Amino acid sequence: MAYRAEPPDGGWGWMVVLSAFFQSALVFGVLRSFGVFFVEFVAAFEEPAARVSWIASIGIAVQQFGSPVGSVLSTKFGPRPVVMTGGILAALGMLLASFATSLTHLYLSIGLLSGSGWALTFTPTLACLSRYFSRRRSLATGLALTGVGLSSFAFAPLFQWLLNHYAWRGALLLVSALSLHLVACGALLRPLSLAEDPVVGGPGAQITSLLCHGPFLRYTIAITLINTGYFIPYVHLVAHLRDLGWDPLPAAFLLSVAAISDLVGRVASGWLGDAVPGPVARLLMLWTTLTGVILALYPVAEVPTGLVALTVAYGFTSGALTPVAFSVLPELVGTGKIYCGLGLVQMVESIGGLLGAPLSGYLRDVTGNYTASFVVAGAFLLAGSGVLITLPHFFCFSAPTSKPQDLVTEALDTKVPLPEEGLGED
Amino acid sequence: MRALQGLRGPRAPSLPLLLLCFLAAVRRSLEDGLSTAAPFTSLPVQEEMMTEYSNLSLESHNLSVTAAPITSLPVEEEMMTKAAPITSLPVQEEMKTKAVPIISLPVQEEMTTKYSNLTLESHSISMTAMPMKENNKGNQICVDRGIMLQRNVTLERPNMPAEKNITLERPSNVELTCQFTPSGNLNAVNVTWKKGDKLLEDNYLVNATGSILYTQYRVAVINSKQMGSYSCFFGEKKQQRGTFNLKVPEINGKNKPLITYVGDTVVLICKCQDCLPLNWTWYSGNGSVQVPIGVPVNDKYVISGKHANETRLKITQLSEDDQGTYWCHAIFELGESEGHVELVVLSYLVPLKAFCAIAAEVVLLVAIILLFEMYTQKKKKPSDDGKEIEQGEQLKLDDSNGIENSGPRHRKNESVGQ
Repeated sequence: MAYRAEPPDGGWGWMVVLSAFFQSALVFGVLRSFGVFFVEFVAAFEEPAARVSWIASIGIAVQQFGSPVGSVLSTKFGPRPVVMTGGILAALGMLLASFATSLTHLYLSIGLLSGSGWALTFTPTLACLSRYFSRRRSLATGLALTGVGLSSFAFAPLFQWLLNHYAWRGALLLVSALSLHLVACGALLRPLSLAEDPVVGGPGAQITSLLCHGPFLRYTIAITLINTGYFIPYVHLVAHLRDLGWDPLPAAFLLSVAAISDLVGRVASGWLGDAVPGPVARLLMLWTTLTGVILALYPVAEVPTGLVALTVAYGFTSGALTPVAFSVLPELVGTGKIYCGLGLVQMVESIGGLLGAPLSGYLRDVTGNYTASFVVAGAFLLAGSGVLITLPHFFCFSAPTSKPQDLVTEALDTKVPLPEEGLGED
Repeated sequence: MRALQGLRGPRAPSLPLLLLCFLAAVRRSLEDGLSTAAPFTSLPVQEEMMTEYSNLSLESHNLSVTAAPITSLPVEEEMMTKAAPITSLPVQEEMKTKAVPIISLPVQEEMTTKYSNLTLESHSISMTAMPMKENNKGNQICVDRGIMLQRNVTLERPNMPAEKNITLERPSNVELTCQFTPSGNLNAVNVTWKKGDKLLEDNYLVNATGSILYTQYRVAVINSKQMGSYSCFFGEKKQQRGTFNLKVPEINGKNKPLITYVGDTVVLICKCQDCLPLNWTWYSGNGSVQVPIGVPVNDKYVISGKHANETRLKITQLSEDDQGTYWCHAIFELGESEGHVELVVLSYLVPLKAFCAIAAEVVLLVAIILLFEMYTQKKKKPSDDGKEIEQGEQLKLDDSNGIENSGPRHRKNESVGQ
């Protein structure tokens, strides 16, 4: 097997970007647009909306908690088989859901089966993407993640059209066919062998080493704190606007505006992350602090223009922090351990995500308005950015991005002849 | 011809009638919240009289269509306050009802006593031929039974047909009032009432206050024969017409077709806002023929309803024959009303074909991607045998992965999968 010294930074990497784009669209776009189905489920099964919304919650929880499984499997077998299997599982879940006769049936098929399918696709793809790029990693990640935003725009009307023409059973069948494209995306993930792969060992060894890795743990804590505050505005913005007296249509429109600025923020931050020298963690800290400050300012703004400006800014900064958040990890742990690293991070950060929205809702119930929730969300983000300062090389202005060879020498002391000896020849 | 000849005729109207007119005016101003407290010093007396007729429940809806622009509304309001004061009483004394309608009064009284257990509903339309004049603007309605509550809504559209839709569910006494401001002489106006196309001879009275002409028609609606369209006509240079459409409440089915599959169960729902029909029936329609849904066979059709204002038809074991439009009829004492729901029954093959097409496309994509990769790998493989010679070529071939090699490789074989 030939091992590359450095990630390719282009070429087939762009096909991987394309694959990641479609995958994030098919996983998160479907999840976000699922609300369209809820109305139909409520009517068809005559269950309250709260019970129906558990379907999406279970799906998201399984996807996030199952991320390490996807990581471990893709470390062993490579991303391609894992993602293709995940795609088949996700489509199978939707297919079985179209025959559902009760809500439990849907919990199991969409929640459990499709959720585990999604768990096997998303994390390995992003990790694979990080392996294909080093200089342009942030840009590639940013471009890939725009799939989420764009698909939310496209899928909601599409799902509504499907519902109007085929009713929910037929629509689920066709969404299952749509999810089959995950398999095609998985086929695009050509395996890449990098220099440090044989050094870092199997998945078990990787996880153990990661759990003892100081910077990795600090990073995980930071991301968890960020995740706690991150989703709150998306969940509660419309309700907050309605509290202030806005009509539902302008409020929903403002959310769309936030989604657009989120898209722009992702690409801009991706480009910026590559253009600015030094650890990407600094940019992540910058965007996180800005987002935290903006959230804390939300209760102060009452005027419509102020709210619109704040929402646009929030969309931009929160979108900006996503690609850099994924780019920090390879710098910390190296591209060899990226699969397991990303899986672990996703699993832990999901705790923050699951806690954030109910906490905010609880605060609102106790205090009567959303002021406390927004301020707390901002506080979480600022706390996360504070933890980021403790990451290595944070204050070095001349430190380059870590080369894989450095991490290899740092991580394990091993008697395996290091490949860079051989690379020195020419 | 009902010209107003007797306007200045005998001062026959009884004192109670006058007081009631004044009372109505006062009440009307009170209802509108206009503040002119001074003229109402005699209020306690009026209250007494009002209680005498308070056993009749009253609903009133108002729609006024005038030629004047809406900016005249404040003017109207003003005028109404001015109409309230006692100083207008002499004007009222002069105001007379015609001789003929007075004769018909006993008939009306008879009618109302016969149906006095029914609720009384009053509806009013007002029309003008020209912009309102500043003076002589009173807005009293003369009644001989019951108390009138009146709220005027002004729309402006000259010569537009004034029309009002009235929804009736239960038998009631209905009072329809048209008021008209003619451009010329009041006496020259010809007042008629018609139901549909049929001219109505009695049961109405004509009245005049200042320059406004009022006419009122009463009908006791007890069954569907009295429902329909009633119009008042004012014949001047151009005939003005106001129409009241008496209808039963509307039923809402569903506007979008319901999509179901063969073998499914579906529930069709019809409901109306605030009505309580006596009974509901369902019909299935193919084209224009409506076939009643009768005795259910094998529990295929089950009609039920959780509340009185809705009905549910549950159809089990759907087949493609069940496709079409279903009509729900609500039966009231005063007639029938219907709504419709469209049902579409698809077979499973319809989405299944689309699914298979998309699945085939995915398989094709995967095959293309994998074959492309194997092809590029194969192009590299033959060169691996001659390591030394083809080094340069290999560097070129590696470009299939788009990589610019910075250094040589240890092993030339690339595995397709790990």
